[in-house]
Amino acid sequence: MNSKAFFEIAKSEGIEQSQISIVKLRRFGFSIFHTEIDSYTISETQSVSAIGVYNGKLGSCRAESDTKEAFRFLAKGIKETSAVIEKEEEASIFEGSPKYHKKNVYDPSVLSVSAEDKIALAKRLEAKLLAADERISEVADVRYQEIDISKEFSNSFGLRLKEKGCYFFLFAEIVAKNGDETKTSYGVEIGSDLAKFDEDLFVKKVAERATEKFSGEPCESGKYPTVLDRTVFAELLAFFLDACSAEEIQRHSSFLVDKLGERVASSKLTVYEKPLEKNIFFTYFDDEGVATQNKTVLKHGVLQTYFHNRETAKKAGVEPTGNGAWTGSRFDVSFANVVVKPGKKSFDDMILPIKDGVYITELAGLGTGMNIRSGDFSCQAEGFRIRDGKVAEPLNLITLSGNLLKMFRSIKEVDDRNKLMSSSINCPDVYVSSMNIGGK
Amino acid sequence: MLSKSLAIKVLNEALATGGDYAEIYVEKTVSSSILLENGVVESSAKPQLFGVGIRILNGVRSVYGYTSDVSAKSLLQLAHQLAASYSEERKITVASIAKQRVKAVNKVDDPCIDTPFSEKIALLKEASEIIRSVDPRLVRIQTIFMDTYRDIEIYNAEGETGKLFVTNEQRGRLVLVAVAAEGNDIQSYFSGPGRADGWHYFKNELNWRRIARETGEKAIMMLSAKECPSGRFPVVITNGWGGVLFHEACGHPLEASSTAKGLSVFSNSIGKQIASPIVSAYDDGSLPNEWGSNNIDTEGVPCQKNQLIKDGICVGFMVDRLNGRRINMAPNGTSRRQNYQFEPTSRMSNTYIAAGKDNPEDIIKDTKLGIYVTNFGGGSVDPVTGEFNFSASEAYIIRDGKVCEPVKGCTLIGKGSEVLMNIDRVGNDLCLGQGNCGAASGLIPVNVGQPTIRLKEITVGGRGGKLE
Repeated sequence: MNSKAFFEIAKSEGIEQSQISIVKLRRFGFSIFHTEIDSYTISETQSVSAIGVYNGKLGSCRAESDTKEAFRFLAKGIKETSAVIEKEEEASIFEGSPKYHKKNVYDPSVLSVSAEDKIALAKRLEAKLLAADERISEVADVRYQEIDISKEFSNSFGLRLKEKGCYFFLFAEIVAKNGDETKTSYGVEIGSDLAKFDEDLFVKKVAERATEKFSGEPCESGKYPTVLDRTVFAELLAFFLDACSAEEIQRHSSFLVDKLGERVASSKLTVYEKPLEKNIFFTYFDDEGVATQNKTVLKHGVLQTYFHNRETAKKAGVEPTGNGAWTGSRFDVSFANVVVKPGKKSFDDMILPIKDGVYITELAGLGTGMNIRSGDFSCQAEGFRIRDGKVAEPLNLITLSGNLLKMFRSIKEVDDRNKLMSSSINCPDVYVSSMNIGGK
Repeated sequence: MLSKSLAIKVLNEALATGGDYAEIYVEKTVSSSILLENGVVESSAKPQLFGVGIRILNGVRSVYGYTSDVSAKSLLQLAHQLAASYSEERKITVASIAKQRVKAVNKVDDPCIDTPFSEKIALLKEASEIIRSVDPRLVRIQTIFMDTYRDIEIYNAEGETGKLFVTNEQRGRLVLVAVAAEGNDIQSYFSGPGRADGWHYFKNELNWRRIARETGEKAIMMLSAKECPSGRFPVVITNGWGGVLFHEACGHPLEASSTAKGLSVFSNSIGKQIASPIVSAYDDGSLPNEWGSNNIDTEGVPCQKNQLIKDGICVGFMVDRLNGRRINMAPNGTSRRQNYQFEPTSRMSNTYIAAGKDNPEDIIKDTKLGIYVTNFGGGSVDPVTGEFNFSASEAYIIRDGKVCEPVKGCTLIGKGSEVLMNIDRVGNDLCLGQGNCGAASGLIPVNVGQPTIRLKEITVGGRGGKLE
């Protein structure tokens, strides 16, 4: 059904302005266990999300189909949900940005690889992982998933925007045993072209990550110079960027309140948000239909901008930044394609001055151990001791605790090992002058 | 939602290539939520979810598919595509469907979804006002009510006569968040009582006014809390939400989704001692109207009380149909999923350590130096190694048997196998707390629970230096 039909129905119901987003999602996935297909999933879903202004208030509704009956249901839902809103601000739907930077990033090459070939790849990975080291006792999971997504956005002002994406996600987890000790590790690969996937490198890294952990012990509790692996830093950076939400700032719920233009991180840290970068995270319009833009978030540690949707931008007297994100009931903000400017030193050179420190390679429980409002966090960690400038013995069952603002200000160095991760953050490893480690 | 004749056609299409079990899960869910910021209604939503999941088992192989297009053509096509994964002779032809009796665990006469927004708003406004009146340093108050109503049909067949189960799930949850600020310090506190019950419970039985006041008071108290010390020392864990420790450390590794493949730290533990002899534990999805309860699981098996640990000995797992085949154990009503977009697997429902004999005050009185943890953010576990963590959002120092100053920001970590053996006191004050658990089959509502317990020693991570 044409979305125009929705706008006609909405108008006839007295909904002055409206927008509709139709997302079609096709998934295919499977997992391998003990050389057999363990699970196999296919799906095709559609989600139709409508937002409208009724009597000056914003309402919304969601359904699966785009029939006239569904459109009437959506219009009714908009009226019902908007009727109770008490916010004083007059709601509106965005008419459209003057310019959109549309690029073709749709690469469906993965769809042309047969299911048999993908299954064969996963089985090969399982065999290679098992053979990579005699201590690897199990390949707990090799999981493949691909997503083919299309999004159509339109509004009652005649704006029509379309976006398509196609990518795969590959995950493997292994178990390694040495006497009574059991260790696990996993690897994740995300991309759009399976031909570019380096199986052997993937296997090598996953295998090493597990076997390096043997004989890991906690260290003495205390403060240590701490190097955070880029995967770990990406997790912490995501929370830091959450605190850049103008929504949280305006509600006094972020440790970055009143920090615009101030140094909130080490001068070594420059962070960009590049939604227009050509990769699988590319997006040229946000959930309000605002054109996205590349921007500098931290320049040599100085906070350049908050992330705005239209409402927060209006309150702050600035332009929307193209970060509007629909939560299902209201607009919040989100970010995509974050890039941290790499440093010049190699990892080895960066850790050379550290006489006695720790190198954290994995975190667990950060989601619940993070107080996003104060920036205080404490979670489970593992990694290695750094002794005399070199990575030394493994550390297991330790905790990493800190405060994001203090930690970001204490970054002494960033190295040159940038990598784009599945969280859409591309960052290097960082060296923090001192962090709290809990152990013995 | 689906006609019996169509269900038979879809099941037969699914079973055409040698599957020995086929299942159709039909779901129509309406959710509702309303959010107030500082007493002002800022957003409301009432989305709908409607779709079908089809699963075919053949021995210990499983194929699953789902679609939001519930037309006959789409369902037959999906069944056909899934069946293409197998290439054996047909074993089963379904000729009829027999509707099964479903005993109601959660009897609800007044589903929250039918309660007008205006009534919910009135309660949320009063709750917001109660929190606001606690202290002017409360800069942000969120009061939220969310509820879901889900109609479910499950058709399954492993013989000529298929089965139809018709059930529904309905839940409501009140969420209160208070944010306190003073200078550069910002602290917050969260309360989220939930239940598979109707509006009368939230309005009349739940003491939400007390909960609202405490939410505000706790947020203010956290402003003066010191950093939690780190190291290894005794920890007393409060009843109710404290059960998140057991949920992570032991619950997940006892799900057949972990144990069946021999991957869990507790895989071969039936009959073995895995906990201190004073510990017994259950998973019980049949507690009437509790947050994690259901009438039946998502495979049609009645929810029931399953003992997991008896006097420290492992006596059972949570078993779903597929993993039950792997370990030759019968499914016990624990197969769960977030919605039709997830393949089901064994999950927890209301999981708790049974009440012991100790008076909780005595447990604290008998602790010379340690911490008393009274609220939690949640946690996670690696079921293979048993290494787990959970974060405490509210805790106090215990000195000479007395609860002293509050501390914040600490994480407790350990190995499930060790921590369960380290429980040296179990109180008599069992209660449950509500949370949402995320794992392979999605995010589902679960109760965690326990009486007050004490761990002889556990690793605590915080920024407050040594415990003194």
